[in-house]
Amino acid sequence: MDVILAAAGDAFTWQALLAIVIGTWAGIVIGGLPGLGSVVGLTIFLPFTFGLDVITSMALLIGVYCGSVYGGSITAILINTPGTPQSAATTFDGYPMTQQGRVDEALGWATFASFFGGVLSCVLLIFCAPQLAKFAVNFGSIEVFALVCLAMLCIVGISRGSLLKGLLCGMMGFFFSMVGSDPITGADRFTFGTQALSSGLDLIPVVVGAFALSEIFVRFSARDEEATVIPEARLRFPPLGEIGRRLIELMRGSFIGSFVGALPGTGAAAAAFISYATAQKLSPRRAQLGKGEPDGIIASESSNNAVTGSAFIPTLALGIPGDVVTAMMMGAMVIHGITPGVRLMADQAQTVYALFVVLIIVNVVMLILSKPSIGLFRYLFKLPLGFVMAGIVMFSFIGAASVRGNPLDLVVAALTGILAYALRRGGYPLAPLVIGMVLGPALESSLRRGLLISRGDFLSFFTHSGIATTLFVLIGLFLVWTLWSSFMQWRAKLARRRQTSTRVIE
Amino acid sequence: MKSLRCSLAALTLAGATHSALAADTLDIVVPFAAGGATDIVARSFEPVFSQHMGVTSVVRNVASASATVGTAEVAGSEGNPNIIEYAPAGSLSIQPSLKELSYGPDSFTYICRTVSNPMFLMVSKSSDIESFQQLVEQSQEYPFLYGSSGPGTLPHLAMAALVVNSDLKAEHVPYSGSGPAMNALAGNEIQIMADTETILENYDLRPLAVFAEQRVKGYENVPAIDELGLPALDFAVWQGVVAPKGISEERAAQYADACKATVESERFRTFAEKAKAGIAYLGPNDFEAFVKRRFEANKQVLQDAGLTQ
Repeated sequence: MDVILAAAGDAFTWQALLAIVIGTWAGIVIGGLPGLGSVVGLTIFLPFTFGLDVITSMALLIGVYCGSVYGGSITAILINTPGTPQSAATTFDGYPMTQQGRVDEALGWATFASFFGGVLSCVLLIFCAPQLAKFAVNFGSIEVFALVCLAMLCIVGISRGSLLKGLLCGMMGFFFSMVGSDPITGADRFTFGTQALSSGLDLIPVVVGAFALSEIFVRFSARDEEATVIPEARLRFPPLGEIGRRLIELMRGSFIGSFVGALPGTGAAAAAFISYATAQKLSPRRAQLGKGEPDGIIASESSNNAVTGSAFIPTLALGIPGDVVTAMMMGAMVIHGITPGVRLMADQAQTVYALFVVLIIVNVVMLILSKPSIGLFRYLFKLPLGFVMAGIVMFSFIGAASVRGNPLDLVVAALTGILAYALRRGGYPLAPLVIGMVLGPALESSLRRGLLISRGDFLSFFTHSGIATTLFVLIGLFLVWTLWSSFMQWRAKLARRRQTSTRVIE
Repeated sequence: MKSLRCSLAALTLAGATHSALAADTLDIVVPFAAGGATDIVARSFEPVFSQHMGVTSVVRNVASASATVGTAEVAGSEGNPNIIEYAPAGSLSIQPSLKELSYGPDSFTYICRTVSNPMFLMVSKSSDIESFQQLVEQSQEYPFLYGSSGPGTLPHLAMAALVVNSDLKAEHVPYSGSGPAMNALAGNEIQIMADTETILENYDLRPLAVFAEQRVKGYENVPAIDELGLPALDFAVWQGVVAPKGISEERAAQYADACKATVESERFRTFAEKAKAGIAYLGPNDFEAFVKRRFEANKQVLQDAGLTQ
């Protein structure tokens, strides 16, 4: 108990609180600007932390991280352009709600779900970190492969209209992710012999092209239409009764996010897609998903913000960073003389508890700052549309270029934008492309690693472990369910047609 | 239209000023993402180094999987006295033999080696293997799997060399970094890993041998590879500073002096101790000879292990 009090004392210094407010605010704005995401935000703030003490610098970085994951949802809802890849799944229901004039409600749900997911994962982190970390260790390559296969199935759910078009886009995204170095042999592939392509296509330029640039092209090609006006952003928190009614959705999204975040090498974008796919099967209002249903926003936002807390589980319990972002935070810790590892919890209990307190404060601050931040975006989007669009183009390219400092990424962003515009005009959904790009590397490397481990025996994947078997059975059930329901639909349609045709004959 | 022409002209001029003149700003390329193990050391090196150089320097991260993109950029800036690279071992001494790249070990002006950490052969503490001998015996029935932080990285090469030179039977499974590999080791997906002291200390690992010519301070009971009846294998994770070819001799000497002063500075030493980076300074000529020696040795390993033709 003394440790916890001492840790709270560390976290409640004015320096740390100031760092949290600045970090969270900056994070929300950076996350909201398309192209600038968590990694860019942290890169901007990392050098500042060199002169600060441990808790203050971690407070700054955690603020930027959590804020940016939430901020991405604001632009996803307002202009159908996720500010960060993590919020890509928020556009599915967020933007339809905006088109229906329910902006305030959509932003309210996104904000509340982000807060709920963030806090729940903090609680899990505080009480179950060692247990969750131990469980996550059981997730080897084969289990991750099964999990990623399950997540891939959400392409089926979100390609309403034409499954074939959705799958085509998914394959395209998967193919984009294969350009560059082979993860197992290290050999270059699809690089046309150029060195610039050997580091592959980064996710950020592709997301920027697919969402931000294509959205701008679409808006400009239809600039006199009513739909291109950006509605005034207001925030209305959902009433308590509504929250109670959707509590199950909030809990499910947060738990999925917390769990996926604890697995190394997955991340918030994958968590959001997995959570959305689950909501499509389990939400009582699943028929409305994709047409402007708050459950969709909840699924996406509660899970991606839950990752912010649980990503620290492997980092703090095992010293294994779950994604790029936690790897950067681990770097910041090392600079301050804290080496994360198996003994961190025991050796540096006070620092670790202070981090927990910081995480919770960050989430509360995020909730408080949500209103002024959305107000800021309201003013930004009140500018003439041309300026807003030009600004988005500029930030998109800055984001694309600053991720890796590779000039090729600008070309990639521009070309993806043009391709995505053509695809949208042809009625192809773009989300599968991003899903393919996000999950592709995990799918490929876990499959090939799994084959190395099982010495080339794919069938042994199904019996490798209890977890793997369970996940594969779930995939089987999902496929059977999908096939069965489409078969029933087809029969019903056939019966109806027969009825009408007999009526005509009569 | 006129303004466009003016700005184009201004741009060309701006491009042309990148001449052989030493400017007040220095571009330090780090070929990895911000926050990585190399980046941290580079960012602690930079302030002291730029102070000694009397310039303002900017650390620029040019990230790519095997650090070749940033390294190629520096190699391609021939004659530019305002760009240097804080380079890792892999991109200088392994990648040129593995891939077709625009640079080789002869494409640089070598400034200095800053740090170097020997690699250890490690197994999980939960395994019952206590010695290298035991490891070899147990691998005979069913080959072990060894992890690495990626194909063509030092952990991969060290283990590949060990497998070729001993009776150990083990196969390679690459991961996307040391972290995921450690996760796999904890879950017993892989059994062996070669990495540095930082990894050894942070996780529950047992060292069986060290890839160095003699035993290492602090680990006196861990045998060097050649004590196990094997040819000496020397693998260490090192970093250094390189500049492009074609810079003036005084500029190179200026860099070398600043580097030496930085490595000897109190500030850098304190940091290195915290981050467990073993300071191992080598001057320009020694560093160049060292890189070329490592390059040839690694090339041989890659050939023996069948990773290149």
